[in-house]
Amino acid sequence: MFGRYPLDYSTTGPDISIRLSDAGSLLKYERECLGSREERYLGRSFSAIHIYPVEPVNLPEPLTQYLEIAFPPVVLPPGAEQTVYVKFPVEIGVFLEAEGKQSPLDVFSLVPVKFSLYGLPSSGVITRWFKSDLFPEIPAVDLYREGVMALTLKNCRTENAKVSRAVFDSSSMCLYYGSRVAMTATLEVFSEYLARTSFTDAAPPDCPNRAIDLYRASSFALTRTKGYFMEAGTS
Amino acid sequence: MSVTDIFNLALSNLTGVESDVTSDKDFFATVSPRDVLFFCIGIVIAYVLGLIISHHVRMRMSHRLKKDQLDILTGFIRVILIIIAVGISLPGLLDLSVTIILICIAGVIAIIALSSQKVISNMVAGIALLYESPFATGDYISTGGVEGTVVAVRLFSVQIRTGEGVYVHIPNDQIYSTAVSNVHANVARRFEYRVGIRYEDDINRAIAIIRQLLEENPYVLENPASAIYVSDISADSVVLSIRAWFPSNWQLTKDDISRTTSILPNVKDALEAAGIEMPYAQRVIWFANEPSLAGDPVSKKGQK
Repeated sequence: MFGRYPLDYSTTGPDISIRLSDAGSLLKYERECLGSREERYLGRSFSAIHIYPVEPVNLPEPLTQYLEIAFPPVVLPPGAEQTVYVKFPVEIGVFLEAEGKQSPLDVFSLVPVKFSLYGLPSSGVITRWFKSDLFPEIPAVDLYREGVMALTLKNCRTENAKVSRAVFDSSSMCLYYGSRVAMTATLEVFSEYLARTSFTDAAPPDCPNRAIDLYRASSFALTRTKGYFMEAGTS
Repeated sequence: MSVTDIFNLALSNLTGVESDVTSDKDFFATVSPRDVLFFCIGIVIAYVLGLIISHHVRMRMSHRLKKDQLDILTGFIRVILIIIAVGISLPGLLDLSVTIILICIAGVIAIIALSSQKVISNMVAGIALLYESPFATGDYISTGGVEGTVVAVRLFSVQIRTGEGVYVHIPNDQIYSTAVSNVHANVARRFEYRVGIRYEDDINRAIAIIRQLLEENPYVLENPASAIYVSDISADSVVLSIRAWFPSNWQLTKDDISRTTSILPNVKDALEAAGIEMPYAQRVIWFANEPSLAGDPVSKKGQK
């Protein structure tokens, strides 16, 4: 389903159905996903439709730009560096192409949404919360439900570090897709209360295709950050 | 003193005034085009400098302050720069000493301050509000009996739109001297709901059902965790209190209609579906003398 398609595209699956059809001088876009339905009319001047995984922070409404993944605690010795795999929720974005530019049309997901608070109510941030297991190798996932993040944990402390959650800024996410949806990220622990997460813009071997960044495609500009400082700890 | 003397004295005084006016004319006649040019250049430099500083302030502070706060701050900077420019270039133009100019400015300020104390106090309160930023445009606040969304924060007043859509204009000094509650100052808020169940219902089961509902609601935050507990054993019911945290900016009003409707009706439906009923008010009445009811076989049996 992910890719660029002409404007007569339609797909029907057990959970997702997308259909573009003629509606006189307009085009009709219809999408169904787990009972939720979206219907819009489009002008004829669009040249193509794109369907890609997008940063999983847009549903049910854009309330936050941060994704928090909670996983079983990992204790790292001083100076250690360990790569683990965690799952993250997949949101699917539909884009319209006109004059070589893509603009977002619709976002939907097969995964239930849950929000959380990272930090204190007075100084923290609202996050899209997702609970994942920890995997030593790439786990099998449903392409349209969950992605796999290769997360490198680095303990920059002189003491053991306990890590059981990571908060990511979606404005610096680099999503790739192929046989699965994938991201590569790093979590560096500097102290009990300070860590930094960042993304690596490199394609995993079996996920060669770079997805469109929803934030870049949106009309509002958002500064692309180099990472996020977790100032309320990692456990 | 005769009338003629008085007339002559008045005439001489009038002549003195006339000579003063003549000397003022001479004074203005001494102002050279070069002085006027310097004065104008000073004002233009102050204006351009104000624009440049305002631009840099906007660039650097835009992530900290909202648009109306930036407008007040940059406007204030530009006015100060113009006043400084006038203060520096005016003495040279009018050939007056700085002391005289300062005395004149102080006099003007004193007159303005005395005649418009309220306006000045509002302006000072506006600057204090700008500095402390207890709220910004778009926040839902409650102050002095008024609740609503802040539409604009200006130098002299704050405009609020209430939940009923009424426009309220509040002077800044009134807001500054009153307690202000800002619903959106923190990113998360806790809400409390109370649900009564019957005495014969299983409390732990009811709590488990409610917990499941909260977990399925995307807006009930995972952290801090929700709390469900027995808060009261009242006359008619066992009261369960539900404390849940929500994102503050989810709803822009304090009414939280959709939040309330999404929690309480779902709790009622889920509990009733599990056979846990909402209790009705009940009273068990004991009579000192058991009343006998005509035709009541139990009463008749007792009488026998």
